[in-house]
Amino acid sequence: MNGKNRFGGRLAMVLTFLFLYAPIFVLMVFSFNDSSSRTLWKGFTLDWYGELFQDGIIINSLYTTLLVALLSSLIATVAGTFAAIGFFNMKRRVRTPLMTINNIPMTNADIVTGVSMCLLFVAAFGAWNSFAQQMNEANGTSLPSLAMGFGTLLIAHITFNIPYVILSVMPKLRQMDKNLVEAAQDLGCTWMGAFFKVVLPEIKPGVVNGLLIAFTMSVDDFVISYFTAGPTTSTLAMTIYGMTKKRISPKINAVSTLLFVTVLLLLVIVNLREMQQSRAKKDPRRAARSAASSRRGTILGAGALAAVLLALILLSRQNNSRVVNVCGWGENIDPALIEQFQEETGIRVNYQTAEGNETMYSKVVLGGSGYDVIVPSDYMVSQMRQEGLLAELDFANIPNFSLIDDTYKHLSYDPENLYSVPYTWGTLGIIYNTAMVDEPITSWSALFDPQYAGQVLMINNPRDAIGVGLMYLGYSVNTTDEGEIREAYQLLAEAREQGVYQSFVMDEVYDKMEAGEAAIAVYYAGDFLAMYENNPDLAFVVPQEGSNWFVDAMCVLKDAPHKEAAEEWINFICSTDACLANMDYIWYASPNVQALADYPAYYEELYGEEMDPALYAIMAAPEEVLAGCEAYDALPAETNDLYKELWTVLGIG
Amino acid sequence: MKNRRSLFALPYVVWMALFVVAPILLVVVYAFSSAAGGATLENFRDMGGYWVVFLRSFELAVVATAVCLVIGYPISYLMAREGPRFQRVATVLIMLPMWMNFLLRTYAWMSILENTGLLNRLFSAIRLFDLVNAVSGALNSAFGLKLATDVQYFQMINTSGAVVLGMVYNYLPFMILPIYSVLAKMDRSLLEAARDLGASPAAAFRRVILPLSLPGVLSGVTMVFVPSVSTFAISRLLGGSNVMLLGNLIELQFTGSSYDPQLGSAISLVMMVIVVACMYVMNRFGEGEEQAVML
Amino acid sequence: MGRELIRLVDCCMSYDGEQVLDHINLYINDREFLTLLGPSGCGKTTTLRIIGGFTTPVAGEVLFDGRRMNDIPPHQRQVNTVFQRYALFPHLNVFENVAFGLRIPKVVEEERGGKTVKRKKKLPEKEIQERVLEMLEVVSLKGFENRRIHELSGGQQQRVAIARALVNRPKVLLLDEPLGALDLRLRKDMQSELKRIQQQMGITFVYVTHDQEEALAMSDTIVVMDQGRIQQIGTPEDIYNEPKNAFVADFIGESNILDGIMHEDYLVEFFNRKFKCLDKGFAPMEPVDVVIRPEDVDIVPVEKGQLRGTVTAVTFKGVHYDTIVDFKGFKWLIQTTDFHPVGEVIGIVLNPDDIHIMHKSQYSGMFGDYSSYSEEYDEMDDVTLLDEEADGEEAEDDEE
Repeated sequence: MNGKNRFGGRLAMVLTFLFLYAPIFVLMVFSFNDSSSRTLWKGFTLDWYGELFQDGIIINSLYTTLLVALLSSLIATVAGTFAAIGFFNMKRRVRTPLMTINNIPMTNADIVTGVSMCLLFVAAFGAWNSFAQQMNEANGTSLPSLAMGFGTLLIAHITFNIPYVILSVMPKLRQMDKNLVEAAQDLGCTWMGAFFKVVLPEIKPGVVNGLLIAFTMSVDDFVISYFTAGPTTSTLAMTIYGMTKKRISPKINAVSTLLFVTVLLLLVIVNLREMQQSRAKKDPRRAARSAASSRRGTILGAGALAAVLLALILLSRQNNSRVVNVCGWGENIDPALIEQFQEETGIRVNYQTAEGNETMYSKVVLGGSGYDVIVPSDYMVSQMRQEGLLAELDFANIPNFSLIDDTYKHLSYDPENLYSVPYTWGTLGIIYNTAMVDEPITSWSALFDPQYAGQVLMINNPRDAIGVGLMYLGYSVNTTDEGEIREAYQLLAEAREQGVYQSFVMDEVYDKMEAGEAAIAVYYAGDFLAMYENNPDLAFVVPQEGSNWFVDAMCVLKDAPHKEAAEEWINFICSTDACLANMDYIWYASPNVQALADYPAYYEELYGEEMDPALYAIMAAPEEVLAGCEAYDALPAETNDLYKELWTVLGIG
Repeated sequence: MKNRRSLFALPYVVWMALFVVAPILLVVVYAFSSAAGGATLENFRDMGGYWVVFLRSFELAVVATAVCLVIGYPISYLMAREGPRFQRVATVLIMLPMWMNFLLRTYAWMSILENTGLLNRLFSAIRLFDLVNAVSGALNSAFGLKLATDVQYFQMINTSGAVVLGMVYNYLPFMILPIYSVLAKMDRSLLEAARDLGASPAAAFRRVILPLSLPGVLSGVTMVFVPSVSTFAISRLLGGSNVMLLGNLIELQFTGSSYDPQLGSAISLVMMVIVVACMYVMNRFGEGEEQAVML
Repeated sequence: MGRELIRLVDCCMSYDGEQVLDHINLYINDREFLTLLGPSGCGKTTTLRIIGGFTTPVAGEVLFDGRRMNDIPPHQRQVNTVFQRYALFPHLNVFENVAFGLRIPKVVEEERGGKTVKRKKKLPEKEIQERVLEMLEVVSLKGFENRRIHELSGGQQQRVAIARALVNRPKVLLLDEPLGALDLRLRKDMQSELKRIQQQMGITFVYVTHDQEEALAMSDTIVVMDQGRIQQIGTPEDIYNEPKNAFVADFIGESNILDGIMHEDYLVEFFNRKFKCLDKGFAPMEPVDVVIRPEDVDIVPVEKGQLRGTVTAVTFKGVHYDTIVDFKGFKWLIQTTDFHPVGEVIGIVLNPDDIHIMHKSQYSGMFGDYSSYSEEYDEMDDVTLLDEEADGEEAEDDEE
């Protein structure tokens, strides 16, 4: 208790708080940075806040987060309070096992809770949907098909919130004088009357505390939401998780700052009020005044929350009754096109992204779907077509299909061209930072070379990564020979063992290559061009061994809820104007023959300078490059399983 | 009378059956079935290849929990000794970051730890790398060593260390709060009684405070260990793809690139069983006290 | 009673600039049962904590056997404490609670190879066993060794706390309102039990209470405290019969306190009438406080009375009636075995030994009028400790 000791203790606490708050502080400072860099200070700006409020995805997910938190905590509080009263009145023999079950969601790992509920929803909806389909076909009823979404998210949040409410209400029930209810009944109350007049006021602190905990837990949750929200609903945390896999924008810092400041203000207000109340307790004259002000405070708080929600609703919802759910890749569409489409048609576009073909496939299969349009690559189109996941398109609704070059029609993945409309095409290659390597890279060998240890970003999807190995070894990327595939895997595994790979990435590649975090990466031509804009040291090469050329095609899922809107969207995207704008934004070559040919002129008109032919050649690889490239075919199931297995084992390291 | 009121819990009991028990049963069912349907043990056999991940996850979670305990206990203890005003402010300060989504907090570390991140920029600004390189060079020429002399940055992100840091950062409050709430509620006169009966401060701590705070420690350890062992976001954000943990493995089977929910369920099940077993042993060890209140 | 054991010299204490102890001087003899008595906030618990070593006085000295002990920590004093709410260790059973102090290794000095070596020594398990059981027998808790603390009643917990302290064979046992949480019946039982234990063990007890009855029943010496000052030290009889000031007179038992004037030795005037008394040594015509105990007043027929008054209230108390009598607007409490109905005019007689004279003090005029009889009288009765705690206003609890 002496002074020195106490000073040491305080110092330790200050250091701990510094540890807790320094990262948040950094986050907040860089939300005002006049550059998209998260580490270099370039001056003060409020632009990110401005952009934040125009970012429909973030605002929408913030709205979802708050709405789910509010609804789930309110429902959980009511349900949990009643459940607690029920449990409290049970015989011990019955109560104990029930309380154990009640504790499961709190003690179980979030991921297990999330995954298990996800399985339940998938199973239940699967059963319902096939039943509904049969009924609809047989009896002409129109039972809707169900998919994971806001409803399932809400159910999941309620489920993990109730135990916290019970945990916080139970002790208050135990503390309560058992005779209180009887006294109230003795004085003429019915049981319900006694409940509202006596029990509720008595356990109110526990109930309020439970509500707060539930709200907090709901806002803080990511894992359970991630598995139960389905593909078309997104909480803020999920959006951020999605964004960290892409080019990270300081908009995240801005939204963090706003959240933090809001919470801080709320806490300060609540604490000041409580302090005022506790002081008032000692002074009865002040008590009355404080009670009145506390009631006013509660109303004020509720009003503020309602106002925020209302504002978010206005920001996030245009009154569009028609919707189309699109799942594309990150950084793979010009957002202006979405705006334009919405304005022209009145259809709201709910644009989600997936990391890669396999991830998208998982989401479609597991998510109980909900997407209308997806943009898989060739081999995945083929696989999904064979598995019966795709709907036949009504090309009468897609007149712009005629603008697509015949080269991209009737390809092997869709020989009769019933299911897909090409979106973009391009090549896979090596992107490298000329300032960080000694000589130009020309071969896939660079990806297995210990010389570049810790400098290489390997692509994070099995088909491309193992494909790189196959191409280096001179095998076909479509081989089904287990020996060849294992040989390619071995190459990757050894290089990983030797520490060649800094990381396995998908769209994180943007930030890392632009910032010089890594020297070499495997990625797509179009994305290289986007990075090149920000870092002219970068170069792209289609290695001498040849590479993969791919087509990403728009498809409509079989159980798409908005098929007509989906076709409208596809038609819109195929138009030459849209293709031009999109090419300018994402740098992927368009299958719209006229757009592709017109692009250099379009570029010149837009930027007042001639387009570098070398860059155009990277975007739209010329014939001689394509001659050395091979497209991916769908693989047979055994080979697919082999890929999955090897991929998981490779990830383990 | 009494029984009738217990019916209040009925809706929730049904709810639990639907959304707590059924999902877990479903995990069990999936774990023992194959993609084509039909019972199989194959999923568990396949899992043999992943023992490295199990080992790594438990290892990192144990380290993170230990670090949290080593930092969290003294801090809780110091907090509980301060005046009520200080305690109040400190509790709020510790809880405050929890009200920001934990993903944001983890994200904050990314920009600090990157190769071109704030810390490395700071080191470079104070010429730390020059110093390191000079020292290495001197050592090399003096002893014929082959230390690198061209260090440009310290590799911090995408390492196990970064993942542990992320876990500690995110879950430290879960360690501090339960321990603190037990310590703060502890009757001060117990400590005085121990001192009065001849115990030195150290002995009083060991024989009275420590055993009495054990329930708080146990619930803190649980609350740090369980999310640490099953995290996938922290390892993904701070470990890149170099530190695959159980959570990532499970995610990979469900929404990731290797769609295989049966295998994912089997892994979840095994993880759940191991965690429950650990907790059971620990609670036995610490006399199954009731869980301390969390917030 | 033995020689002097503990002495406090000019001990002062203050928290946050508020003085809670003001120059306390006090000595405690070996084998004495000494009680610190006073209302809450009077400084009695602080005094106890200074003796126990939990608090260091800001000024003054604490002497044990003539040696200064101010900075010696509690565990190095031959003093043990029974805490207000017992402070039993909830994680240990009865046996282990009592054995707690015995299991702490003691530093002993030993001759080894001609040198004095300090060594930590543990008591052998067998001795611990014996001493604990012996002590449990002393407090009548034999057979309760394996009970958990929360399974015991308040009285039993109390006994465990006493055993736990006594098993270490302290020279002094400090008891901080130990009976406060017990009900009336148990309290009475424990009073005699405590006295018995003290005599059986032959050690010094320093006892803190706000209950004057308890103090009178148990103590060899009572120290009456108020506002951080000692008001009076003496035997129970002294304190009761010869209170030093209005505060003591009022706090110990019931008192009618009147303004008077000391004309000369053995002669005092109040109510414009002179009375003979047994007090002397006052200045001529010095204004004084006159104390008359309610049970000392004799009621006589009006014509025989030295004073006359009207009965305004009567309460039956079992052994006696509490009768409130109005003398010229000043209300007295008189305890009599005879019943006098309200409205009756009575006379009273005061014998010289019924009248106690005190110097005027800061407390003069604050006590002794029974005009607001009912409230004040009840207030004295059952102020339980827990109620005081709930107020949270007690300065002594407000440590640091």
